[in-house]
Amino acid sequence: MSLKNKYAIVGVGYTPQGVIPGRTTLGFHLEACAAAIADAGLRREDVDGLICYRGFPPSEGETEVTPYLVAQHLGLSPVFLAQDAN
Amino acid sequence: MHAVGVLEAGLCNYVLLSYGHCGRSGDSMMRMLAGLNAEDAVFGHFGATGGYALAARRAMHEFRTGPETWKRIAVGQRKWANLNPRAMMCHRPMTDEDYDRSPWVVEPFRLADNCLLTDGGRACIITTRERARDLRHPPVVIMGLGMCNPAADPAPASHLAGPTGARRAGEMALRMAGIARDDIDACEIYDCFTYTVEITLQDYGFFGPGEGLDWLQGGTIEPGGSLPVNTSGGLLSEAYFMGLTPLTEGVMQLMGRCGERQLGPKTGNKTPEIIMCSDNGGILQTHSCYILTKG
Repeated sequence: MSLKNKYAIVGVGYTPQGVIPGRTTLGFHLEACAAAIADAGLRREDVDGLICYRGFPPSEGETEVTPYLVAQHLGLSPVFLAQDAN
Repeated sequence: MHAVGVLEAGLCNYVLLSYGHCGRSGDSMMRMLAGLNAEDAVFGHFGATGGYALAARRAMHEFRTGPETWKRIAVGQRKWANLNPRAMMCHRPMTDEDYDRSPWVVEPFRLADNCLLTDGGRACIITTRERARDLRHPPVVIMGLGMCNPAADPAPASHLAGPTGARRAGEMALRMAGIARDDIDACEIYDCFTYTVEITLQDYGFFGPGEGLDWLQGGTIEPGGSLPVNTSGGLLSEAYFMGLTPLTEGVMQLMGRCGERQLGPKTGNKTPEIIMCSDNGGILQTHSCYILTKG
């Protein structure tokens, strides 16, 4: 059965972008996610899947950002969690 | 593609796709480069720029391409960025002379052929079309999807000058959508380097091998052009959020939320109904194609 026109993108989350010292990779994930949830007009409890894009190595002083960490900080309990989108 | 998979499987109702990175101010990219220092590093070859430069050089051997082609992409996308207040290059116009003066990074690539490093993040939410109808914005529907991953190690790979995974992924997505290439109003192409845009559009069939230079003449991809490409400025001139830079721009254009760069009367383009987006990873080793339309 075709997937044509079955699924839709409903919200986009932006953050400040450019040269922004003093922020963390995790913080940018969280801000973008919260903005996307608000933009769609959803509550965070509605979100039951989280896919984090493949990432880069953590910077000095940062821990590696995993989807578990993002879900934990957003207060989500997703039934599906993965890294590496595409 | 994965998000659609879990929705189709009935596992989830709303899937959040997320990217974030302190790619500009942190030392993460240098750490990645250090990690990529394999045996080739003793010959001075490492990192993504080196890998894509090899691909671009191979393409120059296989068909008519080079900096004159890529200049049209870098300069063209910059014109879109100049209309986008979020873009890192919003206030930095680029002329042909600016491109020509841009310093070499790895030949044949100049700095202007390279994407940006960005501090920031981007996210979007995918759900079923039925659920989408009840939400705030007009939904943007996924008409077609395709993925193809010629995962071969770049050094011995034969696909770097095309056809890359874009050929098959693009055909799959068009077939699923049930449309012809001419039905596409704009493209948002993953543009880690200028050459990536050329080879992706070529593999999607917008022009034949080596015809890119002629096809790009006269501002084809620019505001007012016949096929606008990377209307936010893209990874080259807006910001680097992997595949979410092109995908979210396609979504925002179809929602009609793009301000001064909104395709339509303001830019001298057709108001878009169908937008084709791409993402790729590695050194042209993975490729995804998405065709979006208004829900």
